Amino acid sequence: MISPARGLLAAAVIGLAVGGCASLRGTSGGAGTPPAPIARDPLAARHRQQAEALDRDGQLRRAAEEWKIVLAITPNDAKAREALGALQARIDQAVTGRLDEGRKALARGVQVEARRKFLSALALDPSNRAAFDALQNSTREVEFIAYTVRAGDTLSSLAQRYYGDRSRSEVIWETNQLPPNPKLQPGTTLKIPEIPGVPFVHPDAPRRSAPVVAAVPTPDMPRPAPGVPAPGASAPATPPGAAAPKEEYTPEVNPLLAEAREAIDRSDFGDALTSVDKYLAGKPGDRDGLALKKQALYGQARSQMDAKQYNESIQSLTQLTRLQPDYEDAGALLKQARARNIEMHYTQGVRFYREEKLKEAIAEWRLVLEMDPNHANARRNIDQAEKLLKGLEQRMKKGTGGNSQ
Amino acid sequence: MLIRRIARRRALLLAGAVLLLGACASTAPAPAPREAGPAPKAAPRPAAYESDDFVITFAQPGDTPESLAQRYLGAADKVWMIEDYTGLRAFTPGQEVVIPRRSWNLAGVTPGGYQIVPILTYHNLAEQAKGRLVLAASSFREQMNYLKTNGYRVVSLADFVEFTRLNRQLPQRAVVLTFDDGYHSFKDFAYPVLKELGFTATLFIYTDWVGAGRAALSWNDLRELAAAGFDIQAHTKTHADLRRAQGETEAQYARRMQAELEQPQEQFVKNLGHRSQILAYPYGRWEEGLLPKVKEYGYIAAFSVRRQGNASFVRPLAAHRSQIYSEMTLDDFVKNLNVFEEENLR
Repeated sequence: MISPARGLLAAAVIGLAVGGCASLRGTSGGAGTPPAPIARDPLAARHRQQAEALDRDGQLRRAAEEWKIVLAITPNDAKAREALGALQARIDQAVTGRLDEGRKALARGVQVEARRKFLSALALDPSNRAAFDALQNSTREVEFIAYTVRAGDTLSSLAQRYYGDRSRSEVIWETNQLPPNPKLQPGTTLKIPEIPGVPFVHPDAPRRSAPVVAAVPTPDMPRPAPGVPAPGASAPATPPGAAAPKEEYTPEVNPLLAEAREAIDRSDFGDALTSVDKYLAGKPGDRDGLALKKQALYGQARSQMDAKQYNESIQSLTQLTRLQPDYEDAGALLKQARARNIEMHYTQGVRFYREEKLKEAIAEWRLVLEMDPNHANARRNIDQAEKLLKGLEQRMKKGTGGNSQ
Repeated sequence: MLIRRIARRRALLLAGAVLLLGACASTAPAPAPREAGPAPKAAPRPAAYESDDFVITFAQPGDTPESLAQRYLGAADKVWMIEDYTGLRAFTPGQEVVIPRRSWNLAGVTPGGYQIVPILTYHNLAEQAKGRLVLAASSFREQMNYLKTNGYRVVSLADFVEFTRLNRQLPQRAVVLTFDDGYHSFKDFAYPVLKELGFTATLFIYTDWVGAGRAALSWNDLRELAAAGFDIQAHTKTHADLRRAQGETEAQYARRMQAELEQPQEQFVKNLGHRSQILAYPYGRWEEGLLPKVKEYGYIAAFSVRRQGNASFVRPLAAHRSQIYSEMTLDDFVKNLNVFEEENLR
């Protein structure tokens, strides 16, 4: 978070700039010459302060970059060199810790957590090959919804419902290895995966306008530039080039936010998310918007849990924990939802098995294994069901004179 | 998120500093009656402070990100490094500009999320759209103009592959263009637009189609295109589904893969002087068992048509592309251009 100390920092920097130009007078060669650079020391001091502010804010990698900038300006600054060394050691230690946690999570078979740990190691050190290789080779992406096909569903309608984009049907098609132009059989299960960069639309709240475009910033709105340091705390968000800070860029009450708040109050979380996503589409990363979004996701996850919609609840919670891993008891809730979901599919498998629907039973248990590769019962049941199925098929073959289809 | 807000703040602060500088510059010539002689000569300050990692300089009138990239990075096409690092596309005279000399984020991962690279797939083009896979030339031009005017940077597929090997940082708004099969219409409709906008592209060709009539590119065409800077890669021999067919024996499958994956290589060497290293799966279809074979025949990256962008840590033999269909509106097209997945990774 941004500390109030930053306001002082900003003031100090501006002061420095003025100081800088006082000393410029002596060096600029008169009218018509290009403005000369700010003097060495004040410039280095400015970046030193930025490095310290970033460090306090926990942005270690960017703080290290600022120290390197200081050293480019004043190469003989022993203190800066020392600070950079110490910071680098802290970064290395944190990266090692995250890698270690990632490997442990992998060993426990908790893919989602492993992925997050490796990714967060890369966020600290984007050229870390161990984290990169682990993500690329050992970590499966497993976040998906298990959807039971209903009459009338098509891949396009599902893609529209879950991604707000019909043409994403290809992703569902590919994930499930379906034949070309498949006809979906009601009752079969489809995996609907998350797509990076595409917001997952909740089935209860068909979105009027997909906020996908929002991830693409307009030219006057800079992307998160990793190297851009963080001065001044009190300055409001203003597009670059604007001369003076003005509060009017952050209006007090945005109608979409108000709508979202009201929807949350009446427990209509789907509606709330629609509004808040629309708001965030125009202001990606806005703090108020994100806070409301988290609140809505949490509420939604809870009510889905109560309604035994575990898949949906997992989805909401996954989105939530990606925004903030330690939001309320979201982590615990997610674990609970996963466990119940696994149990539900396992029981469904047993039910199918009792009804002698072996293939359906196997499909349910396979799903269980995908969610929990260490589920011994599911594995054993699959083996048994497959043996039975084989025996049955052989008997059928004999019985019908080898017509195996 | 936070970073973006900070980026804006910083720009603001810089603007403030510049204003102050401007203010004192204008006061400089006016006073000082005591200095009757010539302007004092001081030791010249360096125009920039430099290390192996960074250049810190000050924009002069007329400086653009391009001119600074040319001056300090030795190539105007490295302009993205300045724009991505500073978050700025234009400078006020006197403004401080920090220029990174090296990659600063190879994997494209930040505490706020990670970069994803869209790879677009085109097939045939014509004056008029026809079916899903024949795109109207006017739509194509509109889409390419959209990329240009919205700050996307078209990078080569080879650069993308290096990105997936943690060897190369890509611009934050990197996009890759690919054209499948080897239609002659590429030369007629795509090439002029791409050349005008300075965009590169990869053509995935299946070798049985090369030179097979007027609708197909010939090896001569392909050599010309390669000489003009376009990348030619393999799309198998016959454009058959590479997954093992039902009832296909191990030996049959091995023979079929040899034909589909190795024979194009021989053609590439004979006609273009090099092997192909990148493969597009016909129909975008693949399965786990196929990957070792693809690797065995020398391909280091291969692409499906699963409609999603690629993080740096995507498996290179199972990377994704998004097909652009003729019925897509510009809005539909833009849905395929996400370049960042937000996720809290602090």
